[in-house]
Amino acid sequence: MDKLAATRVIEPASAIRTSMKRRTPSGHSAIPHPIVRLLKKVLPPLVVFVLFIGGWELIVRLYGIASYILPKPSDIVSAAAHNSSNLIASVSTTIIEALIGFAISVVLGIGVAILLALSKTVEKSVYPYAIILQTIPVVAIAPIIVIWFGAGINAIVIISFLISFFPILSNTLIGLNSTDQNMKNLFYLYNASKLQTIWKLRFPAALPYIMAGLKISCSSAVVGAIVGEYIAGIGGGQGGLGYGITVAATRLQTPYLFACGLSAAVLGIVFFLIINLISNKLLKSWHESAMK
Amino acid sequence: MQLTERQATESKKGTMLAIEDVGKIYPNGTIAVQHANLNVGEGEFLCFVGPSGCGKSTIFNMIAGLTEPTSGSLSVLGDSPRAARRRNEIAFVFQEHTLLPWSKLIDNVTMPLTLRGVSKKERIAEGERVLELVGLKDYTKVLPRELSGGMKMRVSIARALISRPKLLLMDEPFGALDEITRQTLQDELLNIWEQDKRMSVLFITHNVFESVFLSTRVVVMTPRPGKISDIIDIPSHYPRDDEFRTRPEFGDYVRSVSDVLKH
Repeated sequence: MDKLAATRVIEPASAIRTSMKRRTPSGHSAIPHPIVRLLKKVLPPLVVFVLFIGGWELIVRLYGIASYILPKPSDIVSAAAHNSSNLIASVSTTIIEALIGFAISVVLGIGVAILLALSKTVEKSVYPYAIILQTIPVVAIAPIIVIWFGAGINAIVIISFLISFFPILSNTLIGLNSTDQNMKNLFYLYNASKLQTIWKLRFPAALPYIMAGLKISCSSAVVGAIVGEYIAGIGGGQGGLGYGITVAATRLQTPYLFACGLSAAVLGIVFFLIINLISNKLLKSWHESAMK
Repeated sequence: MQLTERQATESKKGTMLAIEDVGKIYPNGTIAVQHANLNVGEGEFLCFVGPSGCGKSTIFNMIAGLTEPTSGSLSVLGDSPRAARRRNEIAFVFQEHTLLPWSKLIDNVTMPLTLRGVSKKERIAEGERVLELVGLKDYTKVLPRELSGGMKMRVSIARALISRPKLLLMDEPFGALDEITRQTLQDELLNIWEQDKRMSVLFITHNVFESVFLSTRVVVMTPRPGKISDIIDIPSHYPRDDEFRTRPEFGDYVRSVSDVLKH
């Protein structure tokens, strides 16, 4: 009986697959058409998404939950549409702050890691402090940063930088220190200078690690910018998503609060996808992690 | 007594490498090499055989100038190993192919020239020359991962040859290859060496057959403490081919090297 039930479940699925293949122009070939492959990849998470949103909408409607406690997805969309000019302004402000914070992190993170990697003594004496800096909660340092740099974009960028800096530093350092000993010997034997060894061997060899660090940091930079706006945000047209969230929360505009939160999530995902794309482009020809 | 006679004949040609009563004791007290004496003439092909821990690699590291001997003296072309290396007279091939995975073959083989700041035009010309030597001239734009183990080793050899070294140090280069590839590469290596009769090759191997097939002399080393037990002449003429492997004298040489190793 069980076997029968199982075959019955499988049948429709395989039927869909064959019918999809038939519909594509090159459906008769053994390799599925790119569109079919894309659908296979996109369809399952899309189904889950639709079910989740539908269920949410349904439950809120069925139980009549007030929109200031839990807004329906449709409320969120309409709140976003209604305040679209505010939302777009907030998103673009946050993008700029996160981008600047992330850029500083990349430059300083990789730069400091290279300096530390050049000398074991420097690494041993400086790296512990970098870890201590990382373990202090940013929320605790943030007020000091506001005192020093004033409320506004400077402080926000610095907070974004502080959050996204360490993953790049530590990953780059691990990468630079993981160079194959045989390769290092070879460079030494061919009289390579320290700088040549860094640029021609250790840095390219560390790229997979660096890209892994960037993937963590790019989303953290967005989080950092929003946290920064919370603490050091400025009002008016210049406020970012963090500021928007604070205002919406105090006014109980929960649907708009959700819209801001979701925009922040989308922003983080987009940042991640861009870095992922760059990473794959850089590594796909030679590193296992990016090969298909 | 026999040893010194041989050294005397070798020193008539230009001396490539002179090792005089060299010893190496590591800081932890391990005696890696003791009382090593060896003279290598220009154009010789020497194989070092011996079990692990007999000091083969330590001797190589000292010749390469990676470590200093704790006693005795060691010179390459009458100068310190470091100085010889700075003049690009020594080149290296390791068991691992040590190719840069992100660089095309042409960039990999020209790496020693790049580090020296040689112009791009000259680099490419030299790169193509050495890749042709190892039969890979159509692969200049290929990445290492697209090659088989044997081909990677060929690239590694090509890179070593690009500086036209006078002394080529090879540390178990064919150790990780299958027997057929190994024999092909042995033939090719001998061909390359015969084209440049002034280049000396020092070759570490665990394989007694390989050592006899390739070399003019086999240096047999034994461990605890690491020392040169014997140096066996292989006077058979070159070019050596598969036919040489089947000759009775080949078997005799293999036996005498094995005998020293067992004692």
